[in-house]
Amino acid sequence: MFERRMFLLAGLSAMPLLAAAPALADTNGDRAAAFIKTTSDLILGAMRGAGSAEERRRILGPIIDKSLDVDGLAKFCLGRFWRTATPDQQQRYTAVFHQVLIGNITSKLGEYQDVRLTIGRSKQQDDVDLVSSSVERPNNPPTTVDWVVADAAGNPKVIDVVAEGTSLRLTQRQDYASYLTHNNNDVDKLIDAMRQQLTQ
Amino acid sequence: MNADLRTSKIPTVMVLARAWRFFLFAGLLAVVLTGCATSPPADDPDAVAEFKQTNDPLEPTNRVFYAVNNGLDTVILRPAAQAYRFVVPGRVRTGIHNVLSNLNTPTQLSNDIMQGKPRRAGDTTMRFLINSTVGLVGIFDVATDWGYPNHDTDFGLTLANWGVPDGPFLFLPVLGPSNPRDAVGFGVDIAQDPFTWVGNANTQQIFNWTRFGLNALDSRERYLDPVEQIKKTALDPYATFRSLYRQHRQGDIKALHDDNRATIPVWFPQAQSEANPVQKR
Repeated sequence: MFERRMFLLAGLSAMPLLAAAPALADTNGDRAAAFIKTTSDLILGAMRGAGSAEERRRILGPIIDKSLDVDGLAKFCLGRFWRTATPDQQQRYTAVFHQVLIGNITSKLGEYQDVRLTIGRSKQQDDVDLVSSSVERPNNPPTTVDWVVADAAGNPKVIDVVAEGTSLRLTQRQDYASYLTHNNNDVDKLIDAMRQQLTQ
Repeated sequence: MNADLRTSKIPTVMVLARAWRFFLFAGLLAVVLTGCATSPPADDPDAVAEFKQTNDPLEPTNRVFYAVNNGLDTVILRPAAQAYRFVVPGRVRTGIHNVLSNLNTPTQLSNDIMQGKPRRAGDTTMRFLINSTVGLVGIFDVATDWGYPNHDTDFGLTLANWGVPDGPFLFLPVLGPSNPRDAVGFGVDIAQDPFTWVGNANTQQIFNWTRFGLNALDSRERYLDPVEQIKKTALDPYATFRSLYRQHRQGDIKALHDDNRATIPVWFPQAQSEANPVQKR
């Protein structure tokens, strides 16, 4: 009888330790999840306050710069053409990519007024953290959105967003690649087309 | 006997088969007229690797069908879906979507079983039983709230689970992005759907065409905003849709492959491992 009670006591005292174990094991993942939480709160808060598209663009710009690895994304999206591009082309392309990205995100978020984001579990894969989340909108089934977070010089930054299994950066890269293949692999033409998009 | 009466006696399957024979012929003609995609020169290994990865040897033909579909969509389907959204309230649309989804459960169950996924088959069965009764012929999706979530599946995914590769990209008339594996899957799903075969020819035809039409409206309405967004932001919408379709299918295949939930009932003592957690979607 005594032994059994001791066993129970020992078991109970071990419980808080067990509960703490997963948190200790995955501090990096937790940090990434916390980062996504703060960033999304910031963005969604800004969207609710802002009125015009121009205002949204102005507010979102700095947030995107801080939380997204824009230069890395630009390089990834140009793919094999990055190496063949001249430094001047690379620079002009990155600049216009930056503007296109902010424009796209702003107009995309414009549709999501009543959006609710629930952060799920996060896991480490190779050298990046994957933070899964569920996006809920009225009259729509919830969609799974995974955030790929990498450590850039000590600061976490989003390097990709995967919505329902489709990667944003991969899709963009294949779009640009196809455009370039049909336009003599001319990066200048791509830059012109992207500028065209901005004026629309 | 007039012509209308005669055609109405033909089952929907036959009509679809005829339509497909026409499209197949049109497709072959288009291949002959437009030719195949030319492979990049062998001295550019990066370009060759990309060409292989894109795996779209019929690209010129596919682009013709993309343009045709896009035209049909602009004048017929998109305005119809916009009207549907404008006229029918959101709740009613959700109800219609749920009924359509419930009608699809027999096909879904058959695929779940062939994929060897007992928990998915269980979810589907419970969904059908609960939603057809408590959910009033499927109008209300009660089953999701009761812990039996929906999942997408079709015979294309069954084939993928059996290890059949997808093959080159295809853009099919009316149906849109596909590949040989998924196109075969589409045909098999029609054939294994009990609603294709029950009832007399007349009611069957009315029922199936109504269902087909509503399905088209329902899914187009759901994709109104994303498609608009893609067309606005993509430099080459065709390539973007191709990429998205492939990735989405890959995602579904992976989710199916990784869904190895234990079949032990929840009330039975069970060992839960990290690799095999109880999934909630």
